[in-house]
Amino acid sequence: MATRKGREGEMLESVYSVIALVFVLVACVELCDAATVVDVYRLIQYDLAGVPFGSRLANLNHHAASGFAPAADLSRTVVIVPVRDVNITFIGDYITQKQPLGGLLFLLPRMISSDNRDDMGRGDQTFEEKLMRNLLGELEQLLIHASIPYPVYFAFEDDNIDDVLTDIKRNDATSQPATATTGGYKLVVSAPEPKKIVSPTITNIQGWLPGLKVDGDANQLPTIAIVASYDTFGAAPALSVGSDSNGSGVVALLEIARLFSLLYSNPKTRGRYNLLFGLTSGGPYNYNGTHKWLRSFDQRLRESIDYAICLNSIGSWDNELWIHVSKPPENAYIKQMFEGFTEVAEELGLKVGLKHKKINISNPRVAWEHEQFSRLRVTAATLSELSVAPELLERTGGLSDSRHFLNEAAIIRSIKLVAESLARHIYGHEGKNIQIFADDSSLAVNPSYIQSWLHLLSRTPRVAPFCSKNDPFILALKKELADHTVEVNVQHEVLDGMFTFYDSTKARLNIYQVASVTFDLLLLLVLGSYLIVLFSFLVITTRGLDDLISLFRRPPSRKLKTA
Amino acid sequence: MTVFHFFNCAILTFGPHAVYYSATPLSEYDTLGTSVKAALVYLGTALIKLVCLATFLNVSENDSFDPYQELLKALIGFIDVAGLYFALTQLTHRNISQNHKFQAVGLGWAFADSVLHRLAPLWVGARGLEFTWDYILQGLEANANLVLSISLAALGSLMWLRKNKPRTLIPIIYICAGIVATMPSITSYLRRGLGWHLPKVVGFELFTSLVMAFISWQLFATCQRPST
Repeated sequence: MATRKGREGEMLESVYSVIALVFVLVACVELCDAATVVDVYRLIQYDLAGVPFGSRLANLNHHAASGFAPAADLSRTVVIVPVRDVNITFIGDYITQKQPLGGLLFLLPRMISSDNRDDMGRGDQTFEEKLMRNLLGELEQLLIHASIPYPVYFAFEDDNIDDVLTDIKRNDATSQPATATTGGYKLVVSAPEPKKIVSPTITNIQGWLPGLKVDGDANQLPTIAIVASYDTFGAAPALSVGSDSNGSGVVALLEIARLFSLLYSNPKTRGRYNLLFGLTSGGPYNYNGTHKWLRSFDQRLRESIDYAICLNSIGSWDNELWIHVSKPPENAYIKQMFEGFTEVAEELGLKVGLKHKKINISNPRVAWEHEQFSRLRVTAATLSELSVAPELLERTGGLSDSRHFLNEAAIIRSIKLVAESLARHIYGHEGKNIQIFADDSSLAVNPSYIQSWLHLLSRTPRVAPFCSKNDPFILALKKELADHTVEVNVQHEVLDGMFTFYDSTKARLNIYQVASVTFDLLLLLVLGSYLIVLFSFLVITTRGLDDLISLFRRPPSRKLKTA
Repeated sequence: MTVFHFFNCAILTFGPHAVYYSATPLSEYDTLGTSVKAALVYLGTALIKLVCLATFLNVSENDSFDPYQELLKALIGFIDVAGLYFALTQLTHRNISQNHKFQAVGLGWAFADSVLHRLAPLWVGARGLEFTWDYILQGLEANANLVLSISLAALGSLMWLRKNKPRTLIPIIYICAGIVATMPSITSYLRRGLGWHLPKVVGFELFTSLVMAFISWQLFATCQRPST
């Protein structure tokens, strides 16, 4: 009897150990069963000269709330704020006073999403859209220049998340905000710890279109440079597509390159100027890329540059453009260039103004691209719709700069302006009423080319530290320039040390609907009582009521018997 | 916290089986062996059913109610009945009375069914953060299944093990057994053909299981009287 029991005990033990092993193996099953999964984009995290800015955390695992309840402890809640209803001053105060918060989730309107199909960049915006644009710009500036110790994410409004938000609002209105004991929604983002990006690269692409060298001409031909910076910076680096700043400039440069390559392909129509096209990176960071590009030039080449035109934000103006220079307007070269532009502008029916801003060599701040040229004594000007120089990290193609707010007709007019002025200067037709790039000619500006490139640019985030050396977009630009020019060079440099960036820009947010602990305890209570009732019922029906009572009376009766 | 929910649903799904075993005289007569054997027979039956379903059934694209497919599924469902017959009659049991034999077989049958059909979804699903009522409803369904299995085992033992039955009751016994055996088809018709939601279907199952249990209890009691 004892040995049999021993053997049975051993068998039971081995069975238990097998079951335990099975449980351990099965516990490794990963669960992903959220009600809603949304793509979210993190606020940028960077250090400027050692001072931290942006959101410093990426991981998120807290309950959701729909508003800032005044007296509640929000250090373990994520507040979901649709940008339409945001109160900038309130958020600004909240951030500057360093009040605790678990996280912030901003919901952006669908119209600025690059997936939005029904925007064609007509440029005529309603009043609400203009308000939204300003609001986004303000919000972006606030977030970029603050150091926020909790995660901040952006997401686009869609049906799922709208439903979740209305549910949360309803719950918040009726009871206290969701915590571990009252149920509600839980937002979970599991992102890797943000790491510093080591040696971020900036890539400059240049295209060279040589002019016609007549035999017996020993001197170097003069060069005209057309430059545009193509990279962006914004609050959400994964969303910084910069359609206007500076997608419009890039598209204009490519179209001008195409037109001049048509002219230069035939030796009879090749001008006596070399043309140098430059797509530079590092624009938001004091035009660092342009600076490095110019430094890499041969001295002779630099001296042969007659003048350089930099294109910056020419996509959303009505009828006035500005030419910014750093040499005084009385300078002969500037006067000549400006007169050329004004002439063409009058014919096109738009106005061009001249703005002069002195450069201060000791100040590291470079507000316009042409200032990098001017520091090396090359005559240069920037054509832009902006009348005032933007501050550092302002108007660099962030959240509010989407295809929706762009005006394609404006870009076409700018291209006509620049191309016509350049051509008249190159071929010596100043003052004559000749239209070289007339509409309906073989040299007309091609709107579908512009549209397709704008479409591509509006879907490609181009923040330089997050673009690798062999980014497909950079290769596409290089190939395009190679189609239009004779010689293309790509220069890879490292971004200067003043800026440090951290990765982890995109993540997936899981929204779970959770039941509270009280619910589980209640359920346990109910189940416990149900099982007890079932037990009593079965004992009563099968063995009789006396047996049930005897179950509780057994210990005393045993004691009596032994005693 | 979510393992808590898994624990709750687990005791709802498997608790009643343990309670039934310990509360009724089954535990006193140590009929665990019978239940284990019945569970193994259920495993075998399930395998055979799977093979038949895979061979004879076409997979339909939409979730509608196809009468021919459902008829085929019902026919294959009768393999269940055959399995129960095998468990009741062909296996050698220790010397236990009729009364306890069918209870033990029904209990083992229902326990194996719960484990096979409900343990894996429970383990994978109930541990997540997301809360749904599905697993609680599944547990209630397991309870209804337990009652149905025991009533089917009772009717089965009446049909095959008891030789002297009152003549008038025989058709009723067979009809009740037929209803209980085709319960899966009825529930799938309700779910797909009439479009009932899960809570309603579970409620219907609980109600019918109680009704059938009462009927089979009465039948068993009346059949028991002549022999005692």
